[in-house]
Amino acid sequence: MSRPPRSASSWRAGLRRDLPYLLFVVPAVALYGYFFALPVLQSFQYATTDWDGVSATYETVGLDNLTRVLGDDSLFTNALTNNLWFLLTVVVVQTLMSLLLAVLLVRNTRPSTFLRALFFVPAILSSVSVAFVWSFMYEPGDGLLNQGWSAIGLDSMRSSYLGEPGMAIVYVGLVQAWAHIGQLMIIFIAGLQQIPAELYEAAELDGAGTWTRFRHITWPLIAPATTIVVSYTTIQSFKAFDLILGLSGNPPSASLDILSTRIYTTYSDSEFGYAAAQSIIFMIIIAAVTVMQRRALRLSQQEV
Amino acid sequence: MSHLTSIRRRHFLQLLGAAGAASLAGCAGPGSQESGRQTTAAALSSDASGSMIFSHWRAEDQQVFDDLLTTFAKTYPDISVTQDIAPSADYQASALQRLRSGDTGDAFPTFRGAQFNAFADAGVYADLGDLDLVGNYPDELAAIGRADDIQLAVPYQVVFLDPVVNLDLLDKAGVSEVPTDWDGYLAMLDALKGTGVVPFGWPGGDTGNLGQLVNTMVMNNAPSDDMFTQVGAGELKLTDDWFLKTLGQYAELAPYMQEGVTGTLHDTLLQRFAKGDVAIIASGSYAIAPARAAGAKFPVDLAPPVTVAADEARYVGVHNATFLLGVNSASENQDAAVAWVDFLSQPENASVYADATAQHVGVEGVTYGNADLKQLERWLTADTLLAPRFQLLDLDVQAAVDQSTVAVVRGTSPEQAAEEAQAIVDQQIG
Repeated sequence: MSRPPRSASSWRAGLRRDLPYLLFVVPAVALYGYFFALPVLQSFQYATTDWDGVSATYETVGLDNLTRVLGDDSLFTNALTNNLWFLLTVVVVQTLMSLLLAVLLVRNTRPSTFLRALFFVPAILSSVSVAFVWSFMYEPGDGLLNQGWSAIGLDSMRSSYLGEPGMAIVYVGLVQAWAHIGQLMIIFIAGLQQIPAELYEAAELDGAGTWTRFRHITWPLIAPATTIVVSYTTIQSFKAFDLILGLSGNPPSASLDILSTRIYTTYSDSEFGYAAAQSIIFMIIIAAVTVMQRRALRLSQQEV
Repeated sequence: MSHLTSIRRRHFLQLLGAAGAASLAGCAGPGSQESGRQTTAAALSSDASGSMIFSHWRAEDQQVFDDLLTTFAKTYPDISVTQDIAPSADYQASALQRLRSGDTGDAFPTFRGAQFNAFADAGVYADLGDLDLVGNYPDELAAIGRADDIQLAVPYQVVFLDPVVNLDLLDKAGVSEVPTDWDGYLAMLDALKGTGVVPFGWPGGDTGNLGQLVNTMVMNNAPSDDMFTQVGAGELKLTDDWFLKTLGQYAELAPYMQEGVTGTLHDTLLQRFAKGDVAIIASGSYAIAPARAAGAKFPVDLAPPVTVAADEARYVGVHNATFLLGVNSASENQDAAVAWVDFLSQPENASVYADATAQHVGVEGVTYGNADLKQLERWLTADTLLAPRFQLLDLDVQAAVDQSTVAVVRGTSPEQAAEEAQAIVDQQIG
């Protein structure tokens, strides 16, 4: 049933009554509005212009920028494809590895605590440092990986890594996963420690094996932790800007270009309005992928 | 209670919406900031005074600028200069916005090419045309800092974007000097290969450095000196014969390059060059100082590939101005900024800068103390072309050209690589 229309006088009366309460939130709303909402709204305004980021004048181009992003821009499509491969690599490797480590190190013993700290170390490094370290690991000539392959007689495995157009983005994804596995392991450990031990004891009495206990107790009950890990990893994968630039330079080669670096290159090319349109599409893609992932996770954890 | 809450929420949202709409209507949107207005720079005055900010990205030059500022203070005791150093990427992204306000960057550098053009279009440069300091630069170099015939900046640091060769290894290979024709060049690489070293090191995985080679590869192949300007304007195509020939010559160079060339970074290649594993490093003269720092003791020279027969060559190499110095048109300390740029443009001070950075300068009459700078000094007067790659003002077009050369070295046919690159050019230039 719809509400009856309210008269202007009752609206004013309501406002008079509510105003003192509303004043309490004004500072927080003002800060949020000025530093977050306003720039976001402005980006929509920019996206409808051909502004170069510098000039005093600009033309309004309507939805041309958005249709160009979605239709004619092979560089944006290439970056999106790379980003999805990157996302897939990072989400799968990072989630599985951090969960595996969490399961192995969940007990609060001294060796576990030491190993947790050890695995966490890469997370405190800046992305630029990580890129620097791995650029030498991946170096085709004297890099550590190729030296390792040669040392064990597997010269056929030697590669130019970031110079392999089909695989370069996967190799960068592995670096991203390496840097953050320890951090996400901590979230999983916190989740695992919330699961009552009685459930495992009861399952054991019923004859459930390790895999069955994991599938029917651990996996469903760490749903909140998994959701946090996957959502965080997804957003992080779309925003892996400095790692890419650190490993590839600016602008990155086509095989390493992802959406965030693409937008930056467009901005650097003085196409501010078009970069804003790309940012809007970027925002929508992140939101869509995150929602889809959360639904898929919820379904997988309800099924078991 | 719930009714009260919903009313409050509605009022709150209504107020928020109204405030948002009002803010958006009045906010500083595109174009609300006026472009800077170009002015004529203040005349040089020995009485100049005030505090000025020298904004730049060259952290590696901070010490030598500090040293020069000590000398500067003796001539201009009433001027205080602060260095405002931003990382290169940040400077690229934000310098223009910051400089336009005039609050910082009374004097500042820009890269040649897209950045200089953008700054010139925005009107942040003061016209230096009436100042004597401009006469300290050879006219053909000074021209780099002109836009619409107005002298907006002076080209301070000069580099040669030509491959650098280890002369000891060349000698060991039985080659007395770098050949000046394509067949001779390939024969030299064959001779170097015979000695067991990597003849031609190319940083094919380093987007900041891999493109330097294209400058020399096209200098004699292209139908005109502004070939890449014409590519950017759609008047020349990367699928034209001159560029296909260039890509074909990259394919000829590929067997002489190091293993994993398309993933190699400049820094690691530099280490191998310094150790004597690599005979030629295909980047530029800016590689010499870090190679020395990495322990290289051997004599070096430039080894630009001349891609035609010797009698058809128009150029023997490529030079570039790494950065240009300008004075901010919005500065309230222009006389101090002019004094600083004038001071840097004097040969004795430019010489200090050159020796400390191991890079040549655009200033005429400089005496170089650094042995490598002396060795390469003759190239300052040789028939070298101003690096054409920087005519490509669109980063994606530049990357398309660069990546076409990588693709060919990886094994793609020149025709296919050129077509793929041209497709990106067509998309970018509309």
